[in-house]
This record gives sequence, structure tokens and C-alpha cells, in this order.
Amino acid sequence: MTALVLELMIGTDVSAERGGLTVAEFRSFAELVLARAEERGDADAYLFLENGVRGVEPERLSYAGLDRAAKGLAAWLQDRGLTGRQVLLLYPSGLDFLQAFVGCLYAGAVAVPAPLPTEQGRHFQRVSGIVRDARVGAVLTLGKHAPEVEAWLAEEGFSDVLCLATDGFAGDPAAWGDPGLRTDDLAFLQYTSGSTSEPKGVMVSHGNLLANEAAIQRATSGDRNTVLGGWLPFYHDMGLIGHVLQPLWLGSSAVLMSPTSFLRRPERWLELLSEHRVTVSAAPNFAYDMCVRRVSDAHLEGIDLSSWRVACNGAEPVRADTLRAFAERFAPYGFRADTSFPCYGMAETTLLVSGKRPGRPAVLREVDSAGLEAGRLEGPFLQAPTRTLASSGMVHPEDFEVRIVDPETREERPEGEVGEIWVRGASVSVGYWRRPETNAEIFGARIAGAEELGPWLRTGDLGAMERDELFVTGRLKEMVLINGRNIYPYDVESAVRALDPAFGSGAVFAVDTDQEHLVVIHEVRPSALAGQDLKSATSTVQALISREFAVPAGNVLLVRPGTVRRTTSGKIQRTLMRKLFLDGAVTPLHAVLDPAVRELVGSFELEPVG
Amino acid sequence: MTVPTGRPATVREHTVETLSEWIANRISLYLKRPADEIASNVPLAEYGLDSVAALSLCGDIEEDFDLVLEPTVAWDYPTIDALAGYLVEELRATVGEA
Repeated sequence: MTALVLELMIGTDVSAERGGLTVAEFRSFAELVLARAEERGDADAYLFLENGVRGVEPERLSYAGLDRAAKGLAAWLQDRGLTGRQVLLLYPSGLDFLQAFVGCLYAGAVAVPAPLPTEQGRHFQRVSGIVRDARVGAVLTLGKHAPEVEAWLAEEGFSDVLCLATDGFAGDPAAWGDPGLRTDDLAFLQYTSGSTSEPKGVMVSHGNLLANEAAIQRATSGDRNTVLGGWLPFYHDMGLIGHVLQPLWLGSSAVLMSPTSFLRRPERWLELLSEHRVTVSAAPNFAYDMCVRRVSDAHLEGIDLSSWRVACNGAEPVRADTLRAFAERFAPYGFRADTSFPCYGMAETTLLVSGKRPGRPAVLREVDSAGLEAGRLEGPFLQAPTRTLASSGMVHPEDFEVRIVDPETREERPEGEVGEIWVRGASVSVGYWRRPETNAEIFGARIAGAEELGPWLRTGDLGAMERDELFVTGRLKEMVLINGRNIYPYDVESAVRALDPAFGSGAVFAVDTDQEHLVVIHEVRPSALAGQDLKSATSTVQALISREFAVPAGNVLLVRPGTVRRTTSGKIQRTLMRKLFLDGAVTPLHAVLDPAVRELVGSFELEPVG
Repeated sequence: MTVPTGRPATVREHTVETLSEWIANRISLYLKRPADEIASNVPLAEYGLDSVAALSLCGDIEEDFDLVLEPTVAWDYPTIDALAGYLVEELRATVGEA
């Protein structure tokens, strides 16, 4: 499928008018970077400001510098037989990651970017799962983290996994040899899917990467003068594909800072955009919301956001309220109404699938609430409750085909009706690493009555098309998306159960107010709680969730054993539990609820303990 | 819309009471809850404090009190009372050094 669509693209040469960039020019992303290094030489590829502070001189990495460092690293990887093998990248945000990533591409190794476990209270547990699943041959990191990484590798019994601290490492660029990559060769594995216990790595090929960078350029009207920038983590698909690799595709540059710096002081993001005249910057919805709530007028003195053309808002549900509030708050500082760029995509499609049309504001569609619940975009009707949906924009036919399909019958749904979003195109991955059965189901779906069209990706997201705009309305799968992160209910339920033998089954799901809220319903035997009352047991659960999963845990209900429904085969019925909860039909022994969620549910009775 | 900062005047004036009020106001902003609903002796995690909010709090403490803290303080001192007590001590130590 991938090869076929690529061939079609060669014929159309759609991006020629924008600087002559075409996917067909390059067989691999490595080849593209080599060509850019040749053309751009000493021009800046990346500027990095750890804390994004105004007036501070950034660290710089030129195209030539990137090329040299990457070749030195690639020679080391090739010398150790790591061509075609997986190489884990454990770095904080910074220039070292960029050199290591391109080093892997140059060596023909398969990069596996992951969050550095020591940052923000993360643990090695998840990366251990990745090392095992990906069959990693080496870990690249920084000198200051190498002792901890080596101790972890030894402890887990990964004795054959090499570890190299790449800062201060001077390889021999002249010893590098072109591995002669093809479009079907893997560029990297993106581990954003799957639970901690069973991580799933999306296989992104060089062809996928080239195709999606072309798609992003088309959607955001990028060219050599585009300045990318922002604070997204480099191991996250939106940061990696959008901020880190797009400038290499364009032959332009990016100005980057660390996520923690943004979270501490959100105005630093805006300062960075203003000072470096950034034109394209992406973030999940929560970040825009945070700027509205936390950035004061005093912080905004001298801020000029007029260079910002494209403010991508994706990776979690796009809120119409947030778009309006952000545009209103920052209009006096040069932010333009048509800069907000709601978009849709996922690691399985490399990144971007759709985005706002150029030159006009995002489409906001007020629909009838009852109609939407019944699966239709209709209304609004007089005096009936409505909801406002933000369109995730248009799909460029050169890049993707999108269909709305009934997830049960697999028949295509007509315009304006909600169904599962199915996608195909050159950016769509061939599947998850070593998951043939899942891949047949997720990446090999066929539309009933149109089987000959070939395989589609089932996104697990629900949405509808209307006037060629894609509206994402919800999710079919049970994954929860908060603060731009994917939370797997199974992981949370397992962690809670492991807290105390008194805890039984649990059901974890999300409910929606003006933002997404995690709800934890967990069975407990009050008599078995050693020295704890229900209130302190609830606090323990909340502390665990906020600390281990880094999401707000404002909604915990402890319930009597037997309350959490299972199917006859023992599978937890999270969707049913969610419905019961929203209907006020769950009677807890003890509960804490966020005020917004409490409003949603109305009142409910507490069951007397006894 | 403007965002109030509620910046206390000088370091010497800080007490557990003024700092508790300051923390409650910040938490109220991050977690979208009324400040008077946040009890000073209840773990902040119960109100939904997560690592994003903990980093926000550290950033605001740095901005208003010139004190650089790691987000783990929000778990080491899990309530407003505990956190305010810790901040008072830290601020006194800073003044002593100056």
C-alpha cells in the first residue's frame, strides 16, 4: 500500500511550487538530511534555550555541525553492527538528542526515542518494557545519566545492551558509510501506544516520514522562511515530527526549549515565539488553556506574536472555548484569529492527518447535543441544548483518504453521521512492531462492500465529515487523553490494585466537561483495610495516580465488591461503568469528585459502611 | 481578562497564614476550584494536583518568592499547611543568608 501511494505521488509532484520539495527526490530521510547539510552548510538548523528566557543567547547547531556529529555517531553504531537494529534514545530536551537521532538515521539504525526516566518522577519500568519489546541493541544518553542507565541495564539483565554517552564523544565522521536505505526501511519506532505492561511501537519507515513531512508542509504552507519552535518533548510524535524533523524537511530552522520550563512559566513559550519570530508552533489544547489562565499582563510586556502564522492544536481534544479564549486574550499582542490551527493525527499516521484550511479562522460548528449523542451533526435547534465542535480541518487528498465507517458493520457512513475515522495514505505506518494479530485488525481493515479499495487504518477515534471538514467527536477505544498524554485504564487499575490487598477490581475511564477528567471506580473491602479508613484509602489512591501517572486524580469512588461490572469472559466493562456513573447509578462507600464532575453527575447517595 | 498575581510585598512579612492564602489561590487557579473549597490540611492530590500543577506551583513560587524548588516538594509537603510551613522556613533561611 505504502509503495503504491508513493508512486502516485511521484506522478503528481504537488509540492513543486513551494521550493521544489518532493517525496520522490529522496529514498530515505537520511538522504534528505545529507542533501540539506550540503545546501545549508553553516546555517542554523536548531537553536536551543533550556529555559526559553528572553535575552539569553541560545545554544546553536548548524546543518554542518549536525551532519558532522551524526556521521561520527553513525560510524560508531555501524562499527558495532547496529545497522538495522533498534537504538534507544534517553535524553532530556537538547541538541544532543538531535545529533543522536540523525546519527541513527545515518547509520541505518532504528531510533527508539523515549522519555528519560529520571525526569518528572518517571520510572525505568516503562522503558524496560520498551527495551524488551523493541529488542534494543544499544542505549544512547548523556554522560550525567549514563551511570544510572548502566545500573538499570545491569539490574534488568540487559547485559548485551551497549550504552554510550554521546556528549563528549568524538566519533570519526570519515569512517561513516552510506547504508543505502530504501523508503521501506524503518526510521524509528514511536512508543506512544500500549500500556506500560505491553508497550506498542509504531513502525515509522523512511517513506512514511518523508510523506508526512510533505503533508505537514502542505497543511501549514511551510517554506525555507518558516521558523518552527516550541517546548514539546522530542520523544513525543508531535514534538519529533512537527518541531524537530519538519525544519530539516524544509531546510529551515527551529527554536526549541524544554517542556518543564514551559510548565513552570508558560509565558516563556510566548517569549520564545516573540523573540525569535517563530512562525509555526504546536501544543496540545491544555497548553493554550494554561497560557490564558496563568500568563499575566506584566509578563506580556513587549511580547509580539504577529510572526505566528500557525498555532497547531492537537494530540488531545480541541476545545472551541480554548480557541476563543486564547485568541481573545492574545489578540492585543498580535495573535491573529486565523493562526489557531486545530489539527488531527496520531503516531500511527506518523503525525498529521488533517488541519485547518489556510487563510481563514478555524471552523466552529454548533450542533444539537441530543443529535450528537445519537451520532449525527445536526441543528442547532431553537431552545435545545447545543455543543460547539471545533473542526480538525481538511484532509489533503494528495496525502490521505479519510472515511467515516460504522465500527460494527464496517459500512461507510454518510456525510454528517458519526462513525469511526478510517485513514489510508503514504504516511500510514505498516503497523506495530511485532504485533501481527493487532496489525491485521487495526491496520488491515476493509470497508464492507468496498473491500477492493484495500486496507485502512482504524484510528479508534469517532468523528464525522461535513463540507469536507473533519470533526472528531470522541473515542471508541478506552484510552484516556489528559495533558496531551495517553493514559491506559488497565495500567491505572493494576497500580491501584497493587496498593493494598483490600482493593479488588477497578474501572477507569474519562468523562468530559470543559476538559477531560479521569474517574477511578475501585472495589474495596473496608474490613480488610489495615489501619486505614475509607477516606485515607481514597487519599492513597489519589496520591498514587497524581504521582505515578502525572494526571489529576480528583475523582475516586471506592465501592463495595461486586460493583464493577465484568463481561462473562471477565473483561471489565468500562463503557458500562461510565454510563452507570453518569446516570448516578454507582453507589460509593466513599467518594471524592471534582466540582465540575459532581455537577455532571448530580447528587448520589453514599452507601452506609457496615 | 487579567490574571491576579497576589504578590506579597517583602520577604519578612511572610507568615504561614499569608503563604497558605497564596498557595490556596494558586491551586484554585490550576485546578479550577474555588479557593475556599480547598482545606489546608487535606492532601492537595485529593483536589487533583498532578505533576503539571506541581510544576506550575514551583514556577509561581520562583516568580513571586525567588525560591527555586523541585516539583517533588508538592509530595514531600502534601498539604497547604505543610507547604506553607516549609516555605516560611526556606524564606527565613534565604533572608538569613542575605
